[in-house]
Amino acid sequence: MNDLSGRHLARGVDHAAFPTFNPVGTVRFYRDVLGFPVVHSICAAGWGPDDHPDFIHFFFDIGNDDRIAFFYYFGLPRPSSEGKGDAYARFGDSTPDWFVRSRHLAIHVDSGDALMEYRRRLDHSEWPVEMQVQHETIESIYTHDPNGYLVEVTRALRPVTPQEDLDANLTIDALVDIAQREGHTMDDLLTRKAELIVERAPSWEVRV
Amino acid sequence: MSRLYVLDVPENISVANVAGQSDGVQVDKLGPYFVIEHNGPIVIDRRATGCRHAVWYSCVAGLADGRIVQWDKDALRVDPR
Repeated sequence: MNDLSGRHLARGVDHAAFPTFNPVGTVRFYRDVLGFPVVHSICAAGWGPDDHPDFIHFFFDIGNDDRIAFFYYFGLPRPSSEGKGDAYARFGDSTPDWFVRSRHLAIHVDSGDALMEYRRRLDHSEWPVEMQVQHETIESIYTHDPNGYLVEVTRALRPVTPQEDLDANLTIDALVDIAQREGHTMDDLLTRKAELIVERAPSWEVRV
Repeated sequence: MSRLYVLDVPENISVANVAGQSDGVQVDKLGPYFVIEHNGPIVIDRRATGCRHAVWYSCVAGLADGRIVQWDKDALRVDPR
């Protein structure tokens, strides 16, 4: 035990890394269209095991000192582009689109003007916005980058409230409880959440 | 007695208000939640709430002694279990 024990020490995304077979398109999309500066790159002649190809590992600043990074491997054959998915993974036609789209990167902006500026940049490029969604709490635009990765830019229409954080914790506690049961459903989750609300309510009478 | 819990955030206030307009439906607060109770079915008309789909389909926080038998673009209905 030390004075760091139990503290939330993480400070955002250092980098999230993806392979690319299209470095030209990737640089055009992230640097030239979106305007994300190149902030780092590594030119590596082989690495580790003997069969590891030479590669470039390059990084774009996505704000907040966070970075998205790519690996480009020299001579690595491009995998099949058949089926749904992206440069990293492909799925058969029987895989639902909502599942394929579930893995994506969402980049935060602070204002509607900033969101519309990114929409303008994308719409003037080869990768126009495919979908714009607004509901009561968020507004987002979506497109796929040259590698097929789904990219979202999003803004919050209001701050997240403390009671939403409390509710999120109840949801996750309930999910962990019921997800260990065979055949669990949303009904099980809502029932377990109601139990947790009642159990924990006495501690809220003072604080909430 | 069915009991439906709805988090008290601005988008959900109309859900609790519309629920409370039905005869016999009681709406109270427990911590940050609205508690909507009734001996019989609880029926909430989606259009009356003004909620669009993202909020509408995520407005229920908890459910006790009831079962959701309808939750579509028209209404949310909870019957006693």
